[in-house]
Amino acid sequence: MKRILFLLLLLLAYTLPARAQQPISGKVVSAVTNTPLPGAPVRLKGSSTGTMTDAEGNFTLARSRDQDTLQISYLGYLPYEAPLRLPLPDPFVIALQENSRQLREVVVSTGYQQLPQERATGSFAQVSKERFNEQVSTDVISRLEAVANGLTVDRGTDRRGRLMVRGLSTIMGPKAPLIVVDNFPYEGDINNINPNDIESVTVLKDAAAASIWGTRAGNGVIVITTKKGRFNQPLRLDFNTNVRMTEVPDLSYIPQMSSSDYIDTEIMLFGRGYYNSNINSVNRPALTPVVELLLQRRNGTLSEAEANARINALRAVDVRDEYNRHMYQRGVEQQYSLGLQGSSDKNAWLMSAGYDRNLSNLSASYDRFNLRFQNTLRPAKRLELSTGLYYTLSNSESGKPGYGQVTMLTSNLYPYARFADEAGNPLPVVKDYRQSWKETAGNGQLLDWNYYPLTDYRHSRTLGTLQDVLGNVGLSYKLPFGLEASLSYQYQRQQSSSEQLNDAQSYMARNMVNLYTQLDPITGEPVYRVPVGGILVVSEELIQSQSGRAQLGFNRTWGAHGISAIAGAEARQASTSGHGQRFFGFDENNLTFGQIDPVNFYPLITNGRTSTIQPAQHIRGMENRFLSVYGNAAYTFRERYTLSASARQDASNLFGVNANNRWNPLWSTGLAWNISEEAFYKWGALPSLKLRATYGYSGNVDMARTAVTTMTYRLIKSPLLAEPMAYIANHANPELRWERAGMFNLGLDFGSRNSRLSGSLEYFHKKGTNLYGWELADYTSGVGATMLRNVASMRGQGMDVELNSINLQAKRFSWSSHLNFSYFKDEVTDYYLGNQQASNFIASTPAISGLVGKPVYSIFSYPWAGLDPETGDPQGYLNGDVTQDYVALRGSEVQIDDLRYNGSAVPVYFGSLGNTLSFGNLSLTARLTYKFGYFFRRKSVNYNELYRNGEMHHDFANRWQQPGDEAITHVPSMPYPANTARDFFYSGSEVLVERGDHVRLQYISASYAFDKTTFKRLPFRQMQAYVNVSNLGLLWVANKQGIDPDYHLGTAPLPPARTYAIGLKASF
Amino acid sequence: MKKYIKYPICWAILLMLMSCENFLDEKPDQKLAIPTTLADLQALLNEHDLMNHQIPNLGEIGSGNFFLTDTDWAGLSLEERNIYTWNRANLFPPEFNDWSMNFAPVYVANVVLETMPSITRDAANSRNWDYVKGQALYYRAHNFLQAAYVWAPAYDAATAATDLGIPLRLSSDFNIRSERASVEETYAQILLDLKEAATLLPVTQSHPIRPYKASAYALLARTYLSMRQYEQAKFYADSTLQLQPALLDYNTLNPAETFPFPRFNPEVLTEHLAWGVTSLLREDRAKVDPILYASYAADDLRKEAFFRDNGDGSFAFKGSYGHDSPFAGPATDEMYLTRAEGYARTGNVSEAMRDLNTLLVKRWRSGTFIPLEAGNQQEALALILQERRKQLLQRSLWWMDIKRLNKEGANITLTRTVQGQTYTLPPNDLRYALPIPDDVIAISGMPQNPR
Repeated sequence: MKRILFLLLLLLAYTLPARAQQPISGKVVSAVTNTPLPGAPVRLKGSSTGTMTDAEGNFTLARSRDQDTLQISYLGYLPYEAPLRLPLPDPFVIALQENSRQLREVVVSTGYQQLPQERATGSFAQVSKERFNEQVSTDVISRLEAVANGLTVDRGTDRRGRLMVRGLSTIMGPKAPLIVVDNFPYEGDINNINPNDIESVTVLKDAAAASIWGTRAGNGVIVITTKKGRFNQPLRLDFNTNVRMTEVPDLSYIPQMSSSDYIDTEIMLFGRGYYNSNINSVNRPALTPVVELLLQRRNGTLSEAEANARINALRAVDVRDEYNRHMYQRGVEQQYSLGLQGSSDKNAWLMSAGYDRNLSNLSASYDRFNLRFQNTLRPAKRLELSTGLYYTLSNSESGKPGYGQVTMLTSNLYPYARFADEAGNPLPVVKDYRQSWKETAGNGQLLDWNYYPLTDYRHSRTLGTLQDVLGNVGLSYKLPFGLEASLSYQYQRQQSSSEQLNDAQSYMARNMVNLYTQLDPITGEPVYRVPVGGILVVSEELIQSQSGRAQLGFNRTWGAHGISAIAGAEARQASTSGHGQRFFGFDENNLTFGQIDPVNFYPLITNGRTSTIQPAQHIRGMENRFLSVYGNAAYTFRERYTLSASARQDASNLFGVNANNRWNPLWSTGLAWNISEEAFYKWGALPSLKLRATYGYSGNVDMARTAVTTMTYRLIKSPLLAEPMAYIANHANPELRWERAGMFNLGLDFGSRNSRLSGSLEYFHKKGTNLYGWELADYTSGVGATMLRNVASMRGQGMDVELNSINLQAKRFSWSSHLNFSYFKDEVTDYYLGNQQASNFIASTPAISGLVGKPVYSIFSYPWAGLDPETGDPQGYLNGDVTQDYVALRGSEVQIDDLRYNGSAVPVYFGSLGNTLSFGNLSLTARLTYKFGYFFRRKSVNYNELYRNGEMHHDFANRWQQPGDEAITHVPSMPYPANTARDFFYSGSEVLVERGDHVRLQYISASYAFDKTTFKRLPFRQMQAYVNVSNLGLLWVANKQGIDPDYHLGTAPLPPARTYAIGLKASF
Repeated sequence: MKKYIKYPICWAILLMLMSCENFLDEKPDQKLAIPTTLADLQALLNEHDLMNHQIPNLGEIGSGNFFLTDTDWAGLSLEERNIYTWNRANLFPPEFNDWSMNFAPVYVANVVLETMPSITRDAANSRNWDYVKGQALYYRAHNFLQAAYVWAPAYDAATAATDLGIPLRLSSDFNIRSERASVEETYAQILLDLKEAATLLPVTQSHPIRPYKASAYALLARTYLSMRQYEQAKFYADSTLQLQPALLDYNTLNPAETFPFPRFNPEVLTEHLAWGVTSLLREDRAKVDPILYASYAADDLRKEAFFRDNGDGSFAFKGSYGHDSPFAGPATDEMYLTRAEGYARTGNVSEAMRDLNTLLVKRWRSGTFIPLEAGNQQEALALILQERRKQLLQRSLWWMDIKRLNKEGANITLTRTVQGQTYTLPPNDLRYALPIPDDVIAISGMPQNPR
């Protein structure tokens, strides 16, 4: 019913404005600089006729009457209003006077209200549409890192990158900022949003800005506002298209060992008998080709010369070349978007459609179709009704395997693997079981058991489909005395399905069938327990959310006093349900499948062990509910002093929490002082100056923590008993409290004359108390080795600087800059740590150190005493003496105080710098990003991992091999047997800690605007051609190893490849 | 105007707030529950991998039935190499090890036992109520017993009151500090739990993964045997066999198969698997002691059904009652051997030999077995103990047997040679109680076993 109502409203809403005759033309410029003002709305008073100036400030307007009054408004300038006197001067130039006060009058959106920035006390970072669109991408979020103030993506502690607003506010709690799209938290996949639909992005940074969002705002809020129709605008059609090409990533960045070194290691291990247990194992684990050859040589089935020749032939193969040749290619992304908008004085509407089509470096595809309607209706003077509908349909398909995704057993692929022969025919790669055994297994009755990475991706495909519908209705009514009542409601439904289709030719399906094949002891015929055919794994998920909000606003000014307040309540509900299943013996041509027996145990052909065959059916359901009441008020006196306060209380259906613990009150307060409005303020160079200060609390809650012991039923039943199984999900932890994050913010906003220099300077201080932290626990209690408690406190302080400057301005040329600079340093002030053993602070991915006085993520390292000149063994210090007792170094004898503290693992200084040069219609922007003041632990050889899992590092080539080498290397000699404690010491030693500081050239973009004065025959109102080159790499980096500090975690780190984009924008 | 619009909104907000507690009572995840019903508790106990399959295999590693080649030993982790050579310290990696695995099921058992009183036992649910509680007591006692075998010295009535036992976690409250009970208290708690479990558990076996009365009796017999209270051990072994006397005739098996023993064979009272954290006993590494292997006669079917020829003169063990996994639960063969030992210890040689022969006849090729005879108690005991070691290979029992037999003066010394160096474990050595993981000692403040 709600949805039907929606559609009716939408249909009613679209009415097109009328047309008029007799055109007039003119040009709008700034009175001070005489530069044209593009995009200024120009209209005739009292009529619906209006237009907008083009890039050169020109406009053409149809007249409707003889006595017309021209109205022009432009942000930062005083409104222009004058009757048209005929004949018009030629050229008709209208110079707008700057309004220094209004220049700052930017409206910020908190998702609950639109607030003039002048009166805002909190900290808001805005990303303008222009800056947002300097980059080309399919999604919204990835564009923010380079341009938004106070926001960074930390890739030093989280491989996938962690989006952070003003650093950390919690130690163990959720760390992601809240993302709000059009006034409500977005429950679907944020990649659904088309960047072409974005009007602005605002980052709410401090407590006063964010506290209106309550418990989920502890990590900051990103408010995304989509484009809306505006009243009294002419009909307008916008078109944007671009194509982006991604280069093939540089695989030589991966620190892989040379094949020759790897083969030599295998020969050494073989000689030591390392592979004997695998060779004799009844499990027939896979052996690499070199080990098989060595074995044949040992067994005498292959001559020494022949074996050596074959092994040596493999030394020249590098699997990275194979990946390059057969897997990677250039990626191509295409984007098309079309927008149509129009309005009258009663109705403003907008429609847009977008289509994206991406093909990745690995031939994985993604395409997305967006459709959007938005309408605002003013049926009566006081009543406004807005409706919106956003539809997304996307499809994805998996591609080829990337580096590291072809594996042998559970470990890394040998570096001399080949995917194709000279003729391009696929070659098998050793996978799970021994190649020599597979050839004889099952008396030739089995399916081909080889794995061909070159073609297997065509037979094992994952197809994803996502459909998202988001509809909203808002109703507001202006009451007397400055009151305004509003109701809003949003419904979102995202349905996604995933199909992993492994057809009959896929290795996955053939392997399953073969594993469960039994040979009939009499006839010798194969008996299949897994039906021959493909294996289809399906899963479906449905997310439905509803949000409702009732709000009462009050805006009134009398005399020198002004009050702006809102109060309201909202309820939100988001449910997720899903189910999935595996089908065996699947035939994609006629959609038939076979039956399996999930109850009985069947032997595996490899080793006779038995196992059941499971259809992996599952059904699940999740439901999150929130209730909130909130209020926010600001009092302004003489437009100089503003006092603001906000409070909010949230409750959610946390499971196993007492009702009185469900509600969590949060508040904030703030003060702003427009110094430049004071009578005594006479400083002409800085006509705009504002000081503001806020303090408040935001919360953070982890929905998974409970006060009673809870259990979770498993998705599958016990295969033995056919009864449900359940495990303890949470151990009763009644002492857990909400985390609290208090933040103080002091800000100074300024604007110089003619806006040559404007910006803001902010200092903030954070204090987190009751923070969750893992406390080491006595695991005799059966609840694991760590326990979550409110054990920690932290404080952090920082600075955000945002500067906009116009460095040069001439008639046809200008140079402007935009600088983001942030400083943030956190420090643990309280953390209960029972055990300060040094080894707990050494981890390859920085773990939470939880050490009082040090940052939450810190890098510590073992002091290094060089390599033993006799043996090449690494040496450390134990009680001040040089030692090779690695077990002691890893043990309790060495405490945290014995380690070297290198510094923060998270950048302390970060930001970006953009420079824009304009020559007439051509504009060129280059943007750098930088991170300073932090450290990272680089990888090197780990001999234990090398022997066990084939984990490689090219430092192996620089290892100590003979006395004297210790002078030129710190890579330890190769030991046998491997010593995990020795590897641990070396990987945690100070020689492997590097400074993370770097400067990156993030992108260069250029655009050229075509306008009607230069190109008179253009059929467009405006047209812009643009190019963008992104990921241009590091300009400077502190470490000498050539490691990109943002991309070094994991076994196969790869910096994003360079992209080239070209596009065209036009409006009619 | 204001009045008419403003008030309904206020009312709406108020109404919403009043109904909000209902709104918020919905579960965030439908799979979540607070354990309250018998079905919930049974579901927790149905986690076989946790409740039945987390038995430490450290005793089997220590007991000398197997050896490793030097190359295989060198390929192990430092802690594994130390375990093999009976090192005094550094046997366990922190946080996840056999200790943590052994105590995790105890927590679940305690959650179940603490929830029981809130569920009213009535005529309709009494059978099920007893069953659930009996299982929880059984599992707790079983894991306490396994811990005592590994981390406590052998029971000695003279010193048990002061010998350091294991921490008896009897509550799920993890805020309670772990304290080591004495060996006396440890065994007393195990017996208490098992006796109550035996009265609560049903007489019939619903599935071999679940304990029933006979398996509780079997654990009682095992416990008393470890305490060298042979009369009691015999009594409970007999009680077990009264309920379940079945033996598997090995002539019905195909000993040439990779894994000849079916899972849940008739001798299995309750299945427990001793996976352990280490990979020392992996069948491609652990090789059977050649003297032990040679002690199986040619017509003894176990010689083929238990062992796989590695092709290099060494043999791997494949004869587990867990089919392809290391079995460590109570089974009827163990009970025949326990009752036989009980008879022998209490002077009834003929009954002792009768039990032994009843078992062995099912182990030999049909028609080849000549019943064993013993002239006196000593001879009978020697035969029974030798067959005990041969039959219960890799059940994680021989370690405890060595510990108690050395208390009886058996004077068993274990030796191992690795890379030319010989390691020796003399009788009643302190190392028979393994060190508790260092991080547990550091956090809990419990005293470490004397080294």
